[in-house]
Amino acid sequence: MNRRVYLDNNASTPVHPEVLQAMLPYFSERFGNASSVHGFGRDAREGLETAREQVAQFLKVSKDEIVFTSGGTESDNLGIKGIAAAKRSGHIVTSQIEHHAVLRTCETLETQGFAVTYLGVDEHGMVRPEELEKAIRPDTILVTLMHANSEVGTLQPVSEIGRITREHGIPLHVDAVQTFGKVPIDVNAFGIDLLSFSGHKIYGPKGVAGLFIRKGTRMAAVQHGGDHERRRRAGTENVAGLVGLGKAIENRGRDMAGEAERLTGLRDRLWEGIRARVEEVRLNGHPTLRLPGTCNMCFRNVESESIVLGLDLKGIATSAGSACTSGSVEPSYVLVAMGLPLDWAMGSVRCSLGRSTTAEDIDYVIEAAVPLVAKLRALSPVKA
Amino acid sequence: MEYSDTLIDHFRNPRNAGMMREPDGVGEGEYEQCMDLARFYLRVRDGRVAEARFQAYGCGPTLAACSAGTEVAAGAALEELARIGEDRIEDAVGGLPAERRHAAVVVARAIQAAARDAMARREVH
Repeated sequence: MNRRVYLDNNASTPVHPEVLQAMLPYFSERFGNASSVHGFGRDAREGLETAREQVAQFLKVSKDEIVFTSGGTESDNLGIKGIAAAKRSGHIVTSQIEHHAVLRTCETLETQGFAVTYLGVDEHGMVRPEELEKAIRPDTILVTLMHANSEVGTLQPVSEIGRITREHGIPLHVDAVQTFGKVPIDVNAFGIDLLSFSGHKIYGPKGVAGLFIRKGTRMAAVQHGGDHERRRRAGTENVAGLVGLGKAIENRGRDMAGEAERLTGLRDRLWEGIRARVEEVRLNGHPTLRLPGTCNMCFRNVESESIVLGLDLKGIATSAGSACTSGSVEPSYVLVAMGLPLDWAMGSVRCSLGRSTTAEDIDYVIEAAVPLVAKLRALSPVKA
Repeated sequence: MEYSDTLIDHFRNPRNAGMMREPDGVGEGEYEQCMDLARFYLRVRDGRVAEARFQAYGCGPTLAACSAGTEVAAGAALEELARIGEDRIEDAVGGLPAERRHAAVVVARAIQAAARDAMARREVH
């Protein structure tokens, strides 16, 4: 039996046992609808508001500024479309390496008459603040940029970005789905007006997320129905899931700093172990300003899906940068935006570490990956 | 993505991998949409393939289909291989998911090209 090693924590994480325990009563004795006035409803409401308080405490904001949603994608949609609906027209600035939840929302708004600027990034996947400054126009209504990219993990200069948006009086939305609970986020010091976060990247359940909306930010609801979430997001709240999100972020407040240090060490151990024994490999993303657990590597002239399959057969879960869908290849748009040539970009593999990852796991991955890449290169007619 | 046990076995233990010195026929198959590339080498005796070898760049299914393709080619007549269909390759790896059928296409193209090359060289001699 192979060892099993999960290095796809940027995709999703297992629910922490303490989180599961916190959630369980809300599937049974505390099952009520949080909007109901009776005791069952009050029990559910108490769980929901405790979760809101836990998120607010982590972000050091008022609990009235937290709106719960069904996922990071919905949070991004609400933040961006909510501002657009309130303003009705104007210009938005984002980047070429955003998550599809942001990119496709912006593209949809373009079809509705909004103008969008997609900023490029440097070789490390970092937005250049001076380019943001240049892109801002008199009719710019929103800047939406991610805190860290899920593929390469590069942390954006959010503090500098926030300084610029504040100077121009433009709301700043930050997609922090990959950083919430992993690295410090100070929405006040960074000048962030809207912040998307999610539960299942931090050992909470899937299907629960939220949006921080700074008091005074003018925006409209995009989903209509009941008066839930102070009329900012209609729909019965997923109380059990949100209780899990609250507990998960409470845990992260306790565990985040120590885990970040440990994962940074393991991430670097993985890269150093591979680099020492494999030729023509490169690390993608910023060398230091990067998510603690993210190590994205390109193996030149090897197809990434064959590496992912080979590692999977050894019990190791990673993710391929290039996706082969219906016979046509899609190199990672993030790596392409970073200027990687195709013969490199086609061979990218992302390893994203998490709380269960050990040094033994990393050594096992290195021992599996080195001969695998050598074998795949030996098969290949494509030579450097 | 679910792959057959046969495909996984060929991927884990590719048969007849690597180049061949002084082959009687060489051919390449490419699937441009995904950049997969297969190269087949044939050694021919009395109009039939005595040995087939391959080199390939591509996803796991393409590498496995190459390995299976060398077994399909071994012992077959050149005329037969010059017309080989992708269904023969797909069968040889125990089936392919719809999104990975290109693996059989690229291998069939490479085998066809190698067989035609061997037939052309035979006519010259």
